[in-house]
Amino acid sequence: MNRGLMLKAVVEIRTSTLLCGGLLCGVEAILAYVLPTFQAQFSENLRQIRFLQTFFSAMLGVDASEQFGPEAFMAFPWVHPVVLALVWAHALVCCTRLPAGEIEQGTADVTFTLPVTRWEILRSETAVWLAASLTVMAMILLGNTVGGSYAVAAEHAEGARTLIVLANLWCLHLAVGGLSWLVSALSNRRGVAITVAFVLLLASFLLNYLAQFWEFAKRIAFLGLLDYYRPLVILRDGIMPWRDMAILLMAAILLWTAAGVVFTRRDVCTT
Amino acid sequence: MSIIVTESLTRTYGRRRGIDSVSLRVSEGALFGFLGPNGAGKTTAIRVMVGLLRPSAGTARIFGLDCWRYSDSVKAEVGYMPGDLRLHAWMDGNQALRIWEKVRRRDLLPYGRDLAQRFDLDLTVKVRRMSRGMRQKLGLILALAHKPRLLILDEPTVTLDPLMQAAVHRLLREMAAAGHTVFFSSHTLGEVEQLCDRVAVIREGRLVADESLDALRQRAGHQVTIRWRDNAAASAEPPPFLKIEPPNGLVWSGMLNGPVDQFIAWLAHRPVDDMSISRPDLETLFRSYYASQGSGS
Repeated sequence: MNRGLMLKAVVEIRTSTLLCGGLLCGVEAILAYVLPTFQAQFSENLRQIRFLQTFFSAMLGVDASEQFGPEAFMAFPWVHPVVLALVWAHALVCCTRLPAGEIEQGTADVTFTLPVTRWEILRSETAVWLAASLTVMAMILLGNTVGGSYAVAAEHAEGARTLIVLANLWCLHLAVGGLSWLVSALSNRRGVAITVAFVLLLASFLLNYLAQFWEFAKRIAFLGLLDYYRPLVILRDGIMPWRDMAILLMAAILLWTAAGVVFTRRDVCTT
Repeated sequence: MSIIVTESLTRTYGRRRGIDSVSLRVSEGALFGFLGPNGAGKTTAIRVMVGLLRPSAGTARIFGLDCWRYSDSVKAEVGYMPGDLRLHAWMDGNQALRIWEKVRRRDLLPYGRDLAQRFDLDLTVKVRRMSRGMRQKLGLILALAHKPRLLILDEPTVTLDPLMQAAVHRLLREMAAAGHTVFFSSHTLGEVEQLCDRVAVIREGRLVADESLDALRQRAGHQVTIRWRDNAAASAEPPPFLKIEPPNGLVWSGMLNGPVDQFIAWLAHRPVDDMSISRPDLETLFRSYYASQGSGS
């Protein structure tokens, strides 16, 4: 890995990392406080509105209609659309900078003519991205812990289970990052790369949603990344989701490797 | 020893032509000018050399290494400045030099600061606040700071004022004198004429000339202007070795394609009021090249 390129990457992604991390910390703290505290009111609403039940189940990745217990309310801060959107946004913003972003802003002529291999460029960028990803995760954990500690609830999530959920979310973050690297490697325009990656993530989200009541969607739900992220099951059963995490990590590695292969073989033309 | 060698180098963009069978040799220590109008293929050839583009056919080698396969090794000893230079907006000159020195694993700050002083550039100004000329200077500093064996510059002085252009020219001459090789593209003929000892001319992706400036001029003959004393002489038929443009009253101007003494002997017994003979400047050469190639195609 190249220290110069890592320094450049740090400067370029620190603002978005701190911004996303800060927002996630705040949102997570609010959700972790509000949802368990006002569980009774929310449960009543959920029982009355069928659409909300389906939506809740889709977000949690399991049929939760029969069990809107404390775990479901502790799990919801981990799957809230705002949380997922911010986690995705961080991955999309950081991982489409190169090569699509560099080509689009014309700086590729300078960056890619430095005396390093393209693999080394990608490795250096990825090392910084991993550190940024861990920073974001740490800020989410901080928000969840602070919010949860003030929540007025009969039960609180076990620390170990919360850490497992965080590990699962981190794997999801890495997989979204891998997808973004690949789409970016195939593109000359960062906007296009972000749009394509976002549409794919949205498709995964919709698939998860539709799978709650459509048999066909249920059968192909395994194709979506969100199928491998189930905080409710972890918080309820305390089981480490090895398989889900392995699949997400494998997807991240495969997508990243494919991105590297495409990037090292492609032409770079800024005009 | 040749530093840059391209053999039948071809690069296409789908159906669009980039460069076609370009074969070039640039020897060590040369100040080599790569001439051509916009869209001729200069930048494409340079992009292949610096490993941004893969050749469609043929080879490009620098220091004997394939420019695509061993791109990182090649670039360790190359300083490159692109034509349409864009730098990261958040950087200032000092940050850029610090990053570059970490990437290149060399101490670049002292010489980088010397160059900044020479080019009168404040290294504390952010790129986003720099004028185009300032960015161009920073680009040159980043390309030169590691004292590369080969410097590849794509239209390097296009946005610089005349004083700064002269400073850059001086520096390039010094580098060439110290054994560094300078390869630069330009469509500013005067610049190439002032600096280069060898030029290649590219047209519609094909190399139409690759020789020393002197040889190019020799081949092109002499530029001649004659002012006749009377109309009779002015309306006479010119000899075969003089190619005269349509006469303008008593003045003939055109090209001499033959020995000068033959021309003087022919002129000696004719009523001449004034006469000048000179080697054509590059502008004229360039135009004649393009005119002849254009009429030939």
